[in-house]
Amino acid sequence: MLNSKDKTYKLLHIEQWILEKEGNSIKNKGILVRQTDDVEILFETLKQAPLVAFDFNSFDDGRSYSQVKLLRKRLGYHGEIRALNVHIDHLQFIFRSGIDSYELLPEYKKYNEDYAIDFSVCYQAAENNSGLIEQHKLG
Amino acid sequence: MYKYHDNDVKFIDQRQHQFKKQVTRYFDNKLSDDQFRSIRLRNGLYQELHAYMLRVLIPYGTLNSKQLNQLGLIADKYDRGYGHFTTRQNIQFNWIDLSQINSIIADLAKVDMHAIQSSGKTVRNISADPLSGIRKDEIADARPYCELIRQWFTLHPEFSWLPGKFKIAINGSKNDEIGIQFNDLGLQLVLNDKHELGFSVYAGGGLGAAPMLGPKIKTFVSEIDILSYIESVLRVYNLYGKRDNDKRLRIKFLVKRLGLGKFQDLVEKDWLSSRDDEEIKLNISKLNKIKQDFIAPIKPITSNNIEQRVDFYYTIWKSNNVSDNKINGYSIVSVSLTQIGSTPGNIDSDQLRHLSYLASKYSLNEVRTTKNQDVVLPYVRNEDLYELWQQLEMFDLSSPHNSTFAHIVSCPGADYCSLAKAVSIPVSQRIQNRFIENGLLFEIGELNLHISGCENSCAHHHVADIGLLGLKKGKEDYYQITLGGRTKNDTKLGKKLGRAIASVDVVDAVEKIVNVYVNNKQQDERFNQLLNRIGIKLFKEAVYA
Repeated sequence: MLNSKDKTYKLLHIEQWILEKEGNSIKNKGILVRQTDDVEILFETLKQAPLVAFDFNSFDDGRSYSQVKLLRKRLGYHGEIRALNVHIDHLQFIFRSGIDSYELLPEYKKYNEDYAIDFSVCYQAAENNSGLIEQHKLG
Repeated sequence: MYKYHDNDVKFIDQRQHQFKKQVTRYFDNKLSDDQFRSIRLRNGLYQELHAYMLRVLIPYGTLNSKQLNQLGLIADKYDRGYGHFTTRQNIQFNWIDLSQINSIIADLAKVDMHAIQSSGKTVRNISADPLSGIRKDEIADARPYCELIRQWFTLHPEFSWLPGKFKIAINGSKNDEIGIQFNDLGLQLVLNDKHELGFSVYAGGGLGAAPMLGPKIKTFVSEIDILSYIESVLRVYNLYGKRDNDKRLRIKFLVKRLGLGKFQDLVEKDWLSSRDDEEIKLNISKLNKIKQDFIAPIKPITSNNIEQRVDFYYTIWKSNNVSDNKINGYSIVSVSLTQIGSTPGNIDSDQLRHLSYLASKYSLNEVRTTKNQDVVLPYVRNEDLYELWQQLEMFDLSSPHNSTFAHIVSCPGADYCSLAKAVSIPVSQRIQNRFIENGLLFEIGELNLHISGCENSCAHHHVADIGLLGLKKGKEDYYQITLGGRTKNDTKLGKKLGRAIASVDVVDAVEKIVNVYVNNKQQDERFNQLLNRIGIKLFKEAVYA
């Protein structure tokens, strides 16, 4: 269960979400996308979810970044995207990937978040580029 | 050369600061070995047999004299007085102490250098034809594109945690000078029917244990769309590439598994939905600014009165190591680091400093590194050639072997590398010595030999005339021989000759192969041409009889 914008959501895997959606019982429920899920096939389904969450526990697995990108850019999803089980070394990427909110793994609780925001410069256009000096401008 | 701006300097500084904190966490046991491995590799730091190894990035092989000088200092201060140029144009230091890593990175940053993404499962250094911008038959200079693409994929929020490493090469010459078909992504600069500049794209090439030539996946992508196209290739790879089998991580396995058509469809579909995004269009004004940085500040010179030198060694060196720059009156000088008896690609700190001095005196402060582990001085006035040769002689840098058989390409091998199965360097030295002793060296003509110490193929043995791949049988080193590999426009992988040869016999085997070539070739026939004409049988008989 997650708290988001003062609401509590129950997270379901996509298949379960589809079942419950058919039964019209999706109130206060969000989706937990797995790295092997094909987000595109589930486009119509995902669109109605108030919250879509991704699990970043696996340190080396970057698939979710592309899934988030597809969700935001190609599928035009406007609801909240949340990253779960985030490693602090991933924050700099999370911040710029189109994800709205995140929860660090418990082991990082004592770290100050500024650990991850060492960068004032970036070289590429990204979903959330605010505050960075080298904004990408078209020439 | 590309001139660093304030933001580039700031970026390197900020990455350095972040890595320092990560190293501290590792020392404090707050970062696991696996996590630290993943982070340190993204900063070029490997753990090898005897020590840590740092691979310093040389973007598309371009260095200035100040940087060369600083590399000399680093070799002395943190290593054992030397460095090793790699086949992907970078430089490695093999004797690094982890406790000193932050000072090394700080010393590199002083001259606008770093090791960001020289390793790890991310977009690696982008390689380019080392003679970019100075060749006569060039379609366009690859370097400005390399720089922009390098920047775009540095700490990219979507593509920093890929299934495997991702190597890009860009070639602007008419001939393929950088091996675009054995990189994960190869870009060939081309002009279309309307005379617009763009790229032909090849994907899924790679050497290693399962060598594959990358097929062409797109005939023309205009320059303004190249970032979105590369992003689409990377997105398909990131989403569908295998992550659970260490031997199947590279994009070549994905292309093979899906089939070329399916792979192309996925990329095309993604690209059609993203290419019109204004944010991913190549920034043409920035490109034009960068192009200015790469224009050499010299004009053609007509020098009719160059004194002709008659010196036996100078003449051999000049014919093997010197070629014309596209700017009249200037030459391109190749400094071979395959001095007989030394380790291919190795350079000591005195040589680094001396080259730094020579680059500033004779070559507009610039040198290039090549995939054959050499250094090139790109802008030498013809009238300075003799003097430069004398200067190179003083530091054992005038080896006249640039296109001879003694110019062996070799990885560090089992002497240094924890992945290697067999040694490479001692074999290369034994081969060189043999061909000096038998007096054949300058009779053979152009023939190349590459030695890799394991199937990771760092020395690109698959694309050499004669390739040696190190194996282990019991405790003995053995070498699998391949013949007839090629790069340039008809890239081809070498054919296996037969069973692997024991180390003690491998130099004899190589000599027998070379003898078959020398005894059967017609005039200027190249090794692969002869092999096509007469087949592999004679070679087999000579080696295994």
